[in-house]
Amino acid sequence: MSRLDRWFEGMTRQSARRVSRRNWLSRFGGVLVGGAALPLLPVARAAEKHTVGEDGVKGREGDPTRCEYWRHCAIDGFLCSCCGGSHTACPPGTQMSPVTWIGTCRNPAEGKDYIISYNDCCGKTFCGRCMCNRNEGERPLYHWYRNNDINWCGGAKAQTYSCSTAVVVKAAKEAQPEK
Amino acid sequence: MKLALGTAAFLLMAHPAGANSYEEHDYILNCSGCHRADGSGSKVVPPLQAMPELSGKPGAREYWVQVPGAAQAPLSNARLAALMNWLVQRFAGKRPKPAYSAQEVGRLRTNPLRDPIGRRNEIRRTSSH
Repeated sequence: MSRLDRWFEGMTRQSARRVSRRNWLSRFGGVLVGGAALPLLPVARAAEKHTVGEDGVKGREGDPTRCEYWRHCAIDGFLCSCCGGSHTACPPGTQMSPVTWIGTCRNPAEGKDYIISYNDCCGKTFCGRCMCNRNEGERPLYHWYRNNDINWCGGAKAQTYSCSTAVVVKAAKEAQPEK
Repeated sequence: MKLALGTAAFLLMAHPAGANSYEEHDYILNCSGCHRADGSGSKVVPPLQAMPELSGKPGAREYWVQVPGAAQAPLSNARLAALMNWLVQRFAGKRPKPAYSAQEVGRLRTNPLRDPIGRRNEIRRTSSH
């Protein structure tokens, strides 16, 4: 650490001796303006056009209020992000069920699979907005702990289902179904 | 300097960590939905922290594979055996001896429990050998 500090100190003192302040200012200004102007170049703009976001829509960010959002690949229910909450938090007045159904989804922006926990929010009447039913990798009802048709509010204080979240737990080792 | 290092460390940690092993991956997907990530369970699902209560008692080793959640998990015998070795080590405190093999697990899961909770109480009442 101290070696790194000494090296930086040496570099700083040397540049202070050799480079005038105006020179530094003009160069720094050039970097600032040049950096800001870079995305205006036709090459950068062409690349941006082909960027596909997390849910397949154009642009870098996906939209968690859309059913097509990548994390919703195995969801069945109303999206909490349309119901006063978000895709990771319950709307006010509801409680997140501690037990949940868990699946995997691929994030198309980076081509990696993630383990997603679809915790239900419970305690208020069903939200009724943004119904989404995609069920990728879901198991039949006889594998009930890998099924999303059952009411996972069973583990919460109140069993009334309101909406569903999609929380990333960890990066997955493989996509569902298991080999 | 410290600030830069701190920021770098924070950025590294902010990235979602990957499952470290197939055992952990299989635990999260097949067990943690009901038993929770830390194994604490809920009012309807027994906590995995209670496994030491049965540890060493006759029938416990078989029972842990025969419970519906383990026996019916959509995993191959080899993957389930690896998961059980990992899980017993984590929640009962020591690795099963001998380790579960794919053959043993395959044999046990074809022999389902009719009353899992009843069987659990039965094992708990017996004295360990």
